[in-house]
Amino acid sequence: MINTPHDSVIVQSSGRFLIPLIQLFGLYVLFFGQYGPGGGFVGGVLLGASLIAGLLIFGPDGTSSETARRVLKIDGFGLIIFAGIGGLCLIGGGEFLNYSSFSIPGIDDSTRRHVGIIVAQIGVALDIAVAAVSIVYSLSDQGEDGSDA
Amino acid sequence: MTQHLPALVFLIPFFAAISLPLVAMRDERRAGSIALAALCAMSAAAIASLWTILDQGVVRYDFGGWAAPIGIEWVADEVAAIMAVAASLLALVCVFYAASLPTTAIEGRMIPFYAILLLLISGLAGVIYAGDLFNLFVFLEIVALSAYALVAVPGGRALVSAFRYLIMGALGASFYLLGVAYFYAATGTLNIVDLGQRIPQLLESKAVIVGLLFMFLGLGIKTALMPLHAWLPDAYSDAPDSVSPIIAALLTKVALLAWVRVLFWVVGAGGGSQPAVVFSLVWSLGALAAVGGAVLALSQTGLRRMFAYGGIAHIGLILVGVGQASHTGLAGGLFYLINDAVMQCVLFIWAGVLAHQYGVRTIEDLKNAQVRNPWILGSFLVVTIGMIGLPPTGGFFGKWYIVLAAVESQNYIALAAVVVTTLLTLAYFVRVLEKLYRGARDTGTSSSVAEPVMSLSFRVGIAVPTAAIIGLGLFSDRIVTILLAATSGLGL
Repeated sequence: MINTPHDSVIVQSSGRFLIPLIQLFGLYVLFFGQYGPGGGFVGGVLLGASLIAGLLIFGPDGTSSETARRVLKIDGFGLIIFAGIGGLCLIGGGEFLNYSSFSIPGIDDSTRRHVGIIVAQIGVALDIAVAAVSIVYSLSDQGEDGSDA
Repeated sequence: MTQHLPALVFLIPFFAAISLPLVAMRDERRAGSIALAALCAMSAAAIASLWTILDQGVVRYDFGGWAAPIGIEWVADEVAAIMAVAASLLALVCVFYAASLPTTAIEGRMIPFYAILLLLISGLAGVIYAGDLFNLFVFLEIVALSAYALVAVPGGRALVSAFRYLIMGALGASFYLLGVAYFYAATGTLNIVDLGQRIPQLLESKAVIVGLLFMFLGLGIKTALMPLHAWLPDAYSDAPDSVSPIIAALLTKVALLAWVRVLFWVVGAGGGSQPAVVFSLVWSLGALAAVGGAVLALSQTGLRRMFAYGGIAHIGLILVGVGQASHTGLAGGLFYLINDAVMQCVLFIWAGVLAHQYGVRTIEDLKNAQVRNPWILGSFLVVTIGMIGLPPTGGFFGKWYIVLAAVESQNYIALAAVVVTTLLTLAYFVRVLEKLYRGARDTGTSSSVAEPVMSLSFRVGIAVPTAAIIGLGLFSDRIVTILLAATSGLGL
C-alpha cells in the first residue's frame, strides 16, 4: 500500500500543497483547545493524518515518510509528557493533573494552569499522531524498520 | 500525601509501562527487572493505601482537583483497597515467577511484552478504583486489549484463541457500553454514587431494565459466566506460561468486581424488594455456572483447561454468594473472590512449572512424569484443599459464608448448587492427585531419572500464593469483618 509513490501528478501536487496546510490546522486546533473546541486529541489526529497522507502520496522514500518513520521511534514519548505533567502536579501537592499545583516556581496560578494544560495537550497530540502512523504501518505490508515484512 | 495513594497505585505501573521503551532501550533484558521494581512499588503503595483507608476512612480522589459530577472520581473504599492489595501482590508474584521461564517466544520483543503487561496491571487498578461506569469501561478495555495481545504472544494456536477472545471481549465491551448509554439516558449521570440514588427509583423504567440487561450481558461475557464462557478455556490454556497465571487470577475477577459494584452500589443501593428479581436472576445464573463449570472441568484432559473450567465454576459460586442480597453473602462472595484469585494464580503457576520442568500438559502425562519435588506436591495438596473448601484454607471460609447466606435466606437450591459443585471439585481434583502421587511413588523402581533443580523464582511463585491460601484462612475473620463493615452502609 505504501511501497510506491502515488503515480498521479494531481495527487502529488495537491498533496504538496495540502500536507503543510493540514499540519498548520492541526497545530491551530491543538493550541486553540485551551479556549474552545479542540485540543490534543483532535490536533494529534490531524498531525497523524498529514503524516499518513505523506506516506500514501510520496511513498516510503519521500521526506515526509522519513518524518513518519522517525516519529515511530518516539512511541510512548507523548504519554510520558502527559503523565509527567500529571506527576509534577502530584509532586507539587495537588491531585494528578491539578495544574494549580504544577510546581514551577516564580509563575502565578493562572499561568501555571495555562502552561500545564498546553504541555499536557502537546503530549496527548504527539501520542495520538504516533499511534495513527503506527496503525498505518501495522496494516500495510511494510515493517516499521522499512523492510518488506 | 496519603490521599494520593490510590492514584499512585495506578500511576506507578502505568508510568513504568510508558517509560520502559526509553529506559530499557540499550538492553531489553532489563525490562523484566524494571517491571518487577515497579510492581514492588505498586504493592507498597497499595498496602499503604489499605492501611490509611482502614485508619481514616474512604478516600474519594478527584482527578485534576475537579469534584465528582464534573470531574473524574476514584473511590477507594475498603473493598477497593483490599482488592488492590490482592491484585498488586498477585501480579508481583506472577511476574517474579515468569522471570526464570525461557524467553525464546519474546526474544527481541521483551520491551513491548513487559510494557503491555504493566499496562494490563495498571488497568486492573483502574477497574478496582473507578468511581463511574464509563471509566470502568475504559479500564476494562485497557485490561482486555492488553490481554488479547499477551495471549497471542506464542503465535500458532494462540493466535486463533486470542482472536476469538478479542471478538468475544469486544462484544462484551460493546454490550456493557450500550448498557451504560441507557443508564446515562435515563439518569443523566454516570457516577456510581449518583446512579445509586437515582436508579433504584427507576427500576420500573424500560430504559433502565434494558440497560441493566445489556450491562449484565457484557459483564457476563467479561467474567466468563457459564453460557458465555466459550472464549476462556482456549485463551487461558494457549496463553504463554508467563502470563497465564496473572490473566487467570485477575481478569475475570475484576470484571466480577465491576458487576458487584453495579449490583450493590447502583441497583441495590436503595434497598427494598424491587431489585429482588435482579438478585434471583444473578444467583440462579451463578448456580448454573457453578455446576456446569464443574461438570465440564471433570471432562477435561488438559491440566490448564481443567483449571480454567474450575475457575468458571468458582465465578458461579461467587455469584451465588452475592446473589443472596445479604451482607453475609456479599462479604462472603467478595472474600471468596480474593481466594479464588489466589488459587487460580497458584494453579496456573503450578501448571506452568510442570510444563516447563517436566513437559507435563495433560493429566495423563502426570503419571509418567514421576514428580517428586516437594514444592510441587505440597502446594498442590494445599490448593486442592482450598479449592474443595476444607479448613484452614481461605476457600473454606469463603464457602462457609456463601453457604451461611444461602441458609439464612432459606435458599436451598443455591445451597444444593454449592454442595454439588464442591463434590464435583473434589472429583476432578482427586483425579489429578491420584495421578500425581502414584507417579511420585513409582519412582522407587526407576530412580534413574534425575529430578530437575527448581529455580528460586519457581519456588517463590509456588510457595508464596500457596502460603497465602492458608494465610487468608487464618485471617479470614479480620478480612470478612472489614468487608462486612465496608458493605454495611448499603441498603440491603
